[in-house]
Parts: sequence; C-alpha cells; structure tokens
Amino acid sequence: MATHVLTPATTAYRSGLYEWLTTTDHKKIGMMYVINSFLFFLIGGTFALGVRAELAYPGLQVFQNEHVYNEFFSIHATVMIFLFIIPMLAGLGNYIVPIQIGAPDMAFPRINALSFWMLPLAGILLLSGFLSSGGAAAAGWTSYPPLSEVGPLKSPGSGEDLWILSIILIGTSSILGAINFLVTIFKMRAPGMTLFRMPIMVWTVLVTSVLVLMATPVITSALVMLFIDRNLGGTFFDPFHGGNAILYQNVFWFYSHPAVYVMVLPAMGIVSEVLPVFSRKPLFGYRAFIFATAGIGALGFSVWAHHMFTTGAVFLPFFSLMTFLIAVPTGVKMFNWCFTMFRGKLSFSTPMIFAIGFLTMFLIGGINGAFSASVPIDFALQDTYWVVAHLHYVLFGGSVFGMFAGLYYWFPKMTGRMLDEGLGKVHFVLMIVGFNLTFFPMHMLGIQGMPRRIADYASDAGWNDWNLAATIGGFLIASSILPFLWNVFVSLRNGKIAGDDPWQGNTLEWATSSPPPPYNFDRLPEIRSERPVFDARHGRVAHEA
Amino acid sequence: MSRPPRRGLAPEALVAGGVVVLLVALVVAVFLSGAGRSLYPPDAATVQAQDTRGLYDIVFALAVAIFIAVEGLIVWSILRYRRKPGDDELPPQTHGNNLVEVIWTLIPTAIVLYLFAISYQTLNAVNAVSDTPDVRVHAVAGQFQWKFEYLDGAGNVLATQTVPYYATTSADCKAASLTNAACGGMAVPVGQKVQVTLDSPDVIHAWYVPRFLFKRDVVPGQTNKFEFTVDPTDAGQVFRGQCAELCGTGHRTMLFTVLGLSPADYQAWLASLVEIAQRTPPPAPSGATTLQLTAQNIQFDKTSLEVAAGQPFVIDFKNMDPAGVQHDVDIRQSDGTTVVVDLQTTDGGKESQYQYQALPAGTYTFICSVHPSIMHGTLTVH
Amino acid sequence: MTADAHAMLPLADETGHAGAPVVIQEGHAARGISNPILGMLLFITSEVMFFSGLFAAYFTARAQNAVTTGWPPKQFEHTLNPLSLILVATVILVASSFFCQFAVWSIRRGDRTGFIRNISITFVLGIAFLLLQAYDYSLLFSEGLTIGSGPFGATYFTLTGFHGAHVFGGVLMLSVVLYRGMAGQFSAKHHDMVEATSLYWHFVDVVWILLFSILYLL
Ligand code: HEA
Ligand code: HEA
Ligand code: CUA
Ligand SMILES: [Cu+2]
Repeated sequence: MATHVLTPATTAYRSGLYEWLTTTDHKKIGMMYVINSFLFFLIGGTFALGVRAELAYPGLQVFQNEHVYNEFFSIHATVMIFLFIIPMLAGLGNYIVPIQIGAPDMAFPRINALSFWMLPLAGILLLSGFLSSGGAAAAGWTSYPPLSEVGPLKSPGSGEDLWILSIILIGTSSILGAINFLVTIFKMRAPGMTLFRMPIMVWTVLVTSVLVLMATPVITSALVMLFIDRNLGGTFFDPFHGGNAILYQNVFWFYSHPAVYVMVLPAMGIVSEVLPVFSRKPLFGYRAFIFATAGIGALGFSVWAHHMFTTGAVFLPFFSLMTFLIAVPTGVKMFNWCFTMFRGKLSFSTPMIFAIGFLTMFLIGGINGAFSASVPIDFALQDTYWVVAHLHYVLFGGSVFGMFAGLYYWFPKMTGRMLDEGLGKVHFVLMIVGFNLTFFPMHMLGIQGMPRRIADYASDAGWNDWNLAATIGGFLIASSILPFLWNVFVSLRNGKIAGDDPWQGNTLEWATSSPPPPYNFDRLPEIRSERPVFDARHGRVAHEA
Repeated sequence: MSRPPRRGLAPEALVAGGVVVLLVALVVAVFLSGAGRSLYPPDAATVQAQDTRGLYDIVFALAVAIFIAVEGLIVWSILRYRRKPGDDELPPQTHGNNLVEVIWTLIPTAIVLYLFAISYQTLNAVNAVSDTPDVRVHAVAGQFQWKFEYLDGAGNVLATQTVPYYATTSADCKAASLTNAACGGMAVPVGQKVQVTLDSPDVIHAWYVPRFLFKRDVVPGQTNKFEFTVDPTDAGQVFRGQCAELCGTGHRTMLFTVLGLSPADYQAWLASLVEIAQRTPPPAPSGATTLQLTAQNIQFDKTSLEVAAGQPFVIDFKNMDPAGVQHDVDIRQSDGTTVVVDLQTTDGGKESQYQYQALPAGTYTFICSVHPSIMHGTLTVH
Repeated sequence: MTADAHAMLPLADETGHAGAPVVIQEGHAARGISNPILGMLLFITSEVMFFSGLFAAYFTARAQNAVTTGWPPKQFEHTLNPLSLILVATVILVASSFFCQFAVWSIRRGDRTGFIRNISITFVLGIAFLLLQAYDYSLLFSEGLTIGSGPFGATYFTLTGFHGAHVFGGVLMLSVVLYRGMAGQFSAKHHDMVEATSLYWHFVDVVWILLFSILYLL
C-alpha cells in the first residue's frame, strides 16, 4: 500500500497575518470562508432591512427613487446567494470534509486558496457598482434580459457589468472548489473509509460538487453571452435583432435550479450529522439517505422550467411532473430525520435546536414550493410574495438554520472552546420568532396578489398589516444576530475548553484534537462503519445492535 | 479533558416548549382564526379561476395534512424522547428499516402523481384558447404603460385604451373606477369569452389580475395568448391588475383595471370608445405658436421650451421610438407631479399635434407621463 | 461524563506521534488515476458544460432565424467555406492531437528525446492554428462579418473565439510542459502534467471538430 510522508509546517516565525494570507491549510481557508461569508450575510441582511423598511408602510419613505429600491433587493439577493450561503456551506465543507474522511488536507491546497480569494474580490467588484454612475445592478438577482441589456430604462450603467463579472468570478471559484472536493473525496479517504462509510455531510458535499461542476459552467456561458450583448454588440438575447429573451431564462435556470440544491444539500448534511449525535442514535436509513441525495441531484437537472411556467414558452406538463417528483426524495429525507429522533434520547444543545428549526421550517418551504409545481396554481403565485415566502423558508428556514446548527456544532472543534448555551438559545428563539413573523405573512400577501419587486403598494389593497408585521419580524431577525456575535466574541476568550469530543460525536473530526493539528491527525481510529468514533467509544456491541 | 456540556432540564424544556408553542400557535392562527382565510386565494372572478380555486382547495388540504403529520411527528419526538438528566444509557441503535423506506417513498409518490394528474386536468381547462372568442383584446405592455386595443373578428383595431401613468396614481381616476376613457383600463363583457394577445416593445412584463388567479408574461418577440370568461355575477365589478414582472424603475406603476360589464353595457362602452377614436381633432387655432418636439430612445430632443404667457400653443410631437413605445407631452407644475395639462399618448412611429390652452407666466415641467423619471424638461412661460 | 468515553481509540497506525513526520497511509482509494489527472478530467467536464451552454444558444439562434434570414444569412453565404484555410487549420489541430499522444507514449516509455520532439511539434502546430484563425478572422472582418452581425455573427465569433481562447490556454500549458520537459523534470514514472495537458489538448481538438462540422458542414 502506498504511503507518503508529510512534514509538519515549519515552525519558523511568520507574522500571524502573513500566515493567514498565504495559508493553504484547508482549516484556515475554511475558517476564512466562514468569516468572509458571515460578513456578507450581515451586508446582505442590511440591504434586506432597507427593503423591509421601505415596505413597512405604503408610500415611498426610505428610497426617493424606485431605482435604488431595485438595486437594494437585487444586491441583497446576489450577496445572500452567491457571497453568503454558497460560500458559507463550501467553507464549512472545506473545514470538515477532509477531517471527516481522515485526509490531511484538500487534494489541491493552493487551488483551494485561490478559490477562496476570488470571493472577497468578487464581493468588492459587486458592491463597487454602487459607486458607478448608473448605480449597482438593479435587474433582480435573475437579471433577465432585455431588462439587463444596455438601453434607456434598461441597464445602461456599468453596475450590471460588474455584477456579471462578479458572478463569473464566483462561479469559477465554485467550479475549482468542486473539483477539489471531488478529487479529495474520491482519492484521499483514510483506509477503511469506503464510500458507504462516509458521513452524510461528505455525501452531500459530493453531490453538491457534482451539481456545481455540471451547472455552474452553464450560467457562466449565459453571463458571457449577456456580457457580449452588452459590450461587444452581440444579439443573443435581443429579440429585436434576431435574439431570444427566453433563451437566457432557460440557460439561467438550468444552472439556478440545481443551484438551489447546492444551497441546501450541505445544510441537509449538517443536520444529518447533528441529529444522530444529539439523539444518540445512528442516522435512520443511511443508505436511503444517500440515494435520496443523489436522486435530488439528478432530478434537479430536469425541473428548471418551473420558474418559467408563465412565459408561455415551455412544455408545462413535463416540468410540472418532474417538479412534483422531486418532493419524493426530499420527503424520504424528512421522514428519515424524524425517525432518527424517534425513540432516541434527545438532548437539546444549541446545534440540535437549530437542526430542529431546520426540519420544521424547511418543511413549510418545501410544501409551499410544491404548490408552485401545480401549473395553474403557479399562474396565480408566480412573481408574487408567495414565491418570496417560499424562497426564504427554504433558504433561510433551511440553509441558514442548518448553517447555524453547523456553526454551533463545529465551533468547539474549530476554536477549542464552547459557545455559551444560554446565549445560543436566546439567539434561536429570537430568530425563529422573527423569521416566521417576517416570512409567514408573505404567503398571505402573495395569495392576495402582492407582486414581488415593488417599492410601493396601494394603501387600500389590504396589504398594510402583513407588510408591517414582516418588517417588524425582519428587524427581530437582525436583533437575533447580536447575541450570536456577542457569544462568539466572549466565547473565543472565555468559553469553556471544549476538549476533543464535547458532544460525543460519531465522525472522525471528533477523534482529533480541538482545533486539529496541522494535517489533522496524529492517529486514526479504525473505520468499520459510518460512525468510527462512536464505534471506538462503545465497542462492537453497540454497533451490532 | 473532554466533558459533555452541562445539561439542566430548565433551558432545554423551555426551548423545546418554545418551539412547540410556536408551531401550535402558528397552526391555530392559520387554520382557525381570520388569518386562515388569508391563506386562501381571493374570490375567483372568472370561470377559469374557479377551476384553479378548486384545485387549490385540494392542494391546500393535502398540504395541511402533510404539514400536521410531519410537524406532529417532530413535536412528538421532541416531547416524548427527551433525554432525562443523568440517563447515560444508549437508546436502541436502529439503523433503518427497508419496509418503512418503501412505504414513505410510495405514499408521497402516489400523492404527487395524483396532484400532477388533477393539475394537468385543470391546466388544460385554464390554458385553453379557442378560435372564435367573443371579444379580442390586444394588450401591449411597454415601459411603463398598458395599452389595450379592441379588435374586430378580422383583427383590425376598433379602438384603443391606454392607461396613462397618472391614472394609476390619481385619486380622480380611482373614484371614477377607471371607467371613463381618459383614465384607461380594460372593460370586458361578463359571461363571454375574452381572448387577450400580449406583446411588448421593450422588456418582459406580465399581465396579472389577482382575482383571476392568473398571469401571463408579455415577452418581446413572442406573442402570448390566453382566454378568460368573467363570471356573470361579477358584472359591474372592477378588478385590479398589475404588471408582475420586474421591468425597470416604473415596474410598480404599471397598474391597470379590468371592468366587468354586462354585454349591453359593454357594447355601449365600446361604441363610445370608437366614437372618441374617430373624432377628428379640432384644427390648431390659427396664430398659435407651434413648437417642435421629438422623442427617440426614450428621450426628448429638447430639455427646455419657451412660450408666451396667455396664449394657446401647439406642439408638433414626433415619436420616433418603435411601435408600442408610447409617449406624450404633459404639463405639470414645476414640482413635476401636479398635473396642469394631460394628453393622450402617441404610439411609436406616429405623430401628434398637441394643443395647449393659455398658461399664466411661470416655470412648468413638460413631461412624458409614461416615462416621467427620465423624460422631462422645463417649460418657461413669459 | 460516561465511563466508556474513556475507552482508548483503537489505532490503525501506531507510528504517528506528535512532533515526528506524520505518516499517512493511503487507502485503496489512492490507487487508480492520480489526483491531477482526475482533476483535469473533472475540469474538462465543466468545460463541456460551458460549451453546451454556447451550443444551446447557437442552435436556438439558428432555429429561430434560419427561415427568416437564412443560415448563414444570405449576405454571408459564401464567407464560411469549408474548403478553405479553415480546412488546413482543422488538419493542423487534428494532427497536433496525434503528436501530443505520441509525446505521452514516449514519456511513458521513458523516451525523453522523443517526448520533447513530439511535444515541440504539438506546440508549434498549436501556434500555427492560432495564427491561421487570426488570419481567418481578419478575412471575415474584411467581408463585413463581425460579432455584431446579428445572431449569426454573435454565435460564430463567440463559439470560435472561446475555442481559440482554449487553444491559447492549451498552448500555454504545452509551453510549460515543454520547459519542464527540457529541464528533465518528467520521467516514465512522473509525468502527470503531461497526461493532464494531453487530455486537455484532445478535448480542445474534439470541440473544434464539433465546431467545424456544425459551423461549416451542417
Ligand atoms: C434552498 C433553496 C430551494 C429549495 C430546496 C427549493 C425547493 C423546491 N422548490 Fe423552490 N425556489 C427557490 C429555492 C429553493 N427551492 C428560490 C430561491 C426560488 C425563487 C427564485 C426567484 O424567482 O427569485 C424558488 C422558486 C420556485 C418555483 C418557481 C416559483 C415561481 O417563480 O413561480 C417553484 C415552482 O415549482 C419551486 C418549487 C420547488 C419545489 C417543488 C421544491 C422541492 O425541492 C421541495 C421539496 C420538499 C418538500 C415537498 C417537503 C418535504 C417532503 C415531504 C414531507 C414529502 C411529502 C410531500 C408531498 C407529497 C408534497 N421553487
Ligand atoms: C440565503 C438567502 C437569503 C437570505 C438569508 C435572506 C434574508 C432576508 N431577506 Fe431576502 N431574498 C433572497 C434571499 C435571501 N434573503 C432572494 C434570492 C430574494 C429575491 C430577490 C429578487 O427578487 O431578485 C430575496 C428577496 C427579498 C425580499 C423581496 C424584495 C422584493 O421582491 O421586492 C424581501 C422583502 O422583504 C427580503 C427580505 C429579507 C429579510 C428581511 C431577510 C432577513 O433574514 C435578513 C436578516 C438581517 C440580517 C442578517 C442583518 C443583520 C444586520 C445587523 C445585525 C446589523 C449590523 C450590520 C453590520 C455590522 C453591517 N428578501
Ligand atoms: Cu411592466 Cu413590470
Ligand atoms: Cu427551482
């Protein structure tokens, strides 16, 4: 069996900052991903607060000009999706996946660093749109042409070009990251770590990486064409010169529907790590879970036109059927999670509470998504606040809750210190109450006919109360971030020392020190199942049961 | 040394309880109180919408059932299977069960196939278009205005209704429920098949009337078509409509209305519209000053105009934008919002001779009411 | 704390202890293709998807405009002649792929001279292709076909332009391979980069064959 020798990093003195700027250690890179993404979460959230402030009452209060409002929600969504949730999950994966499979690092450490550093750069590019004369991109995060083409009342400014470049950069970063994950997972697993003994987190990252690899280049091509249209005289999407406006939507959603699973699968992975540990049971239906994940990934490529039901340009029954079917593998996961808790012995530490938050909220988001799979109903719901409710229930209720579960769960591993449980619970309660107050009323607004992406609404349309409630909720969510930040700040200094395995974990990251040494392991436990650390702790008896 | 975190009963029970109370409150609020009704679509106003509404009822009922079943399972597990302090025994290590996996794959599959089948059926009903509708309307959505052309059986335009920008914001037009021709909007006979074709001269818009539970995108370069029949009991009602696809700065101002009229009233309404369209404009008063103004690329060619006080004047207006892109030259106070003179719009490729009454001296704004944000200039009267 | 939490972890590898170099045993997963080559294959997969997006645009534009303007549009009917310089360029690129493969076989045998000779030929042919393409572009420009000439021009130049950029990237990789080869850094055992570069070069070649067939023959 081949072996190779790794020498630990030299101990020669380097300044701390230089160390972080030049590091190729996946743990440091992972943490930089997490911190960078969280900063963008705050930035994106601040834009959302602007949006909510404007919508609190009918009439224009915050923005004198609707264009600025359009910039705000466009940049809000772009930041949240491309600079927050996707990199955040990639960052957690970056930290955890090599450790969970017993590898010393990612397969291509320098490419890994490159992937990371493209992100802050892209963020700066994107936000610098606000300094350009025409303002930042304002055509929504979907940036449909012809609105995103150059022209009076379209998108004449360079903000849109900066948006395009920024997304291409982030996409490239994702693709390189995906290649890195795939090679790492395929080639660098510890002895005994067969594919069907990999933690579910690793599986979800694997499937996510395949989605990124197959889908992201397609949006790059769409953006390249849009860029050519805007700057080089192309006519790809210009219906008045032989182009086709719907083509962009097809190509865009061919990426962006799989991308929504890029945004949620790793969060599902986190939840699948947390629930068993805090229920003290193995994950119910480990293999079914893997098949369901792969099934979601595969089906995810055949449903993109459900975003285009009202365009009159797609074959409705096929996409409706596929969209309905994707509820099945997701349901399999849901039931398996429930049965993981069922008959367990549950302890409600903060990671577990956030994981439960994920289950309860993502369920709502999934079900209200299924409404839209029914084409006639989607004719009523499309481009209304119902869709805004759906997307926040899956993205916030799902991905963000999952992310917080992961942050609370792995913080001790990353820093060696525990977060405070009391503050964690304050955070959770504020967040889930604020979250529902913000986004549940949007169902009502949507079904009553309030379109999305409007800065103002008639005062007699009957939408005032729900909008006010949503605004109050939005600020409640923002306030819930404060105990979290305080918690991190205090615990980094004074938190309880975590030790190797504070939660009695199952997977390999709990077999090494907190934080792990360079190259992660001094020694590895024997791997006989998907729960090597559990096996080591309890011996075979429990495993056989 | 590793040490599991302290586990007291109080905080975990509190939080578990919190989650439960929250969910229960949510469910109660939604299904029993007035908020429950808000989760329902508004009363369906067309035959098609009633179909959709029937479908919604079924989907909603199933969704509630699934919601309660799954949330119930979660809540039950949280309450029932809490780990008691000091209990260090492992629960039975069940790894899974193939039978239940099959069950919870097949049951949802059956549910979604059923939902798909009934959705498909309804889709065929609401999406059907006939060759011989009773009324044909050609709707053109341009930034940021709706235009409705009433067509005869051969597709010729009988009359045109535009919805000027200010109509959607002014109290007058709301009070007049947009029925008069100046305010624009769309009137249709109840109980008759209305077929709408959609075109756009610039970007994508969407025709959306909430009480029809229906919208359809207006895609440049592609003519979309749909049909509806307003329920006969809804004669005399006005339905709000709005553009539902982000189309730029004025997106939220693209409002319109649909007015349901009895067939007889509808004929009278259409006749008056035709009559207005055929009225020959009075000749320009002789001796009035005539100014030239051209619009192209959604810009006026001039940013300032001057006329003498106390004298009527005329603007020869040329709209050089593509057909469908409407402009007009209204006059407002210098605040840009208070309307002084309001005129009908001119379609792209057409010319109009706009006539203005005498104005007292002062500074005014001339403005295109369709594109007020980027098409305006100063009119100095002295 | 539970008693069994103290249980010793069974060790798979007793040699690792703090301070000393860590010996990581590679599992069975380490056999098979090497990391760089797997990485390259995955990268090529993503490139295939990128070109798929462009091809989708091409076929949409073609389907939409073929009836109204003709495809190529009437005024450009004679600009794209398969039996012209472009055929020479095609032959050159296909040939270069062969030489690239010869280079790989050489280095696998440990034949460094043969390897350097073949990779140099590949490199030169790659550059020749790029020059021909540039010349061909200038001819098209002079006939009035540019990226702004409607959907036909836009798709033609975008597809061939991105392909050209990929050839350029391949030529850069070849130059690095050549440089390292001359520095004696490759051997029969260590030549992952040669394999990876050749895979990429073949991919670029295949894309061109597709482009040539679709743009010039179909
Ligand atoms: C994390 C992101 C995420 C996820 C996971 C999903 C998941 C799903 N989405 Fe969502 N979606 C978005 C993010 C996401 N979506 C975003 C961002 C938009 C808006 C984009 C924009 O326009 O800006 C959008 C928009 C969107 C639309 C277009 C709406 C419109 O514009 O008209 C549709 C239409 O079908 C849809 C459907 C679905 C479905 C069916 C699922 C399914 O995967 C959900 C499946 C899950 C369940 C159903 C719950 C669990 C299942 C069970 C308990 C089994 C039993 C259930 C049944 C039998 C129903 N989504
Ligand atoms: C992961 C994705 C994600 C997340 C987390 C969020 C979070 C939030 N979103 Fe967002 N949203 C989207 C993705 C997301 N959104 C998308 C894709 C769209 C569609 C856009 C489009 O149509 O193109 C959208 C659109 C959207 C709209 C509709 C706009 C419109 O159509 O006109 C609204 C309206 O209320 C909204 C609100 C919010 C709110 C209140 C939050 C809150 O959860 C935010 C919580 C607040 C914070 C986290 C801020 C914390 C800040 C502080 C504590 C202050 C300190 C600040 C500093 C130190 C800088 N969002
Ligand atoms: Cu027109 Cu929005
Ligand atoms: Cu989707």
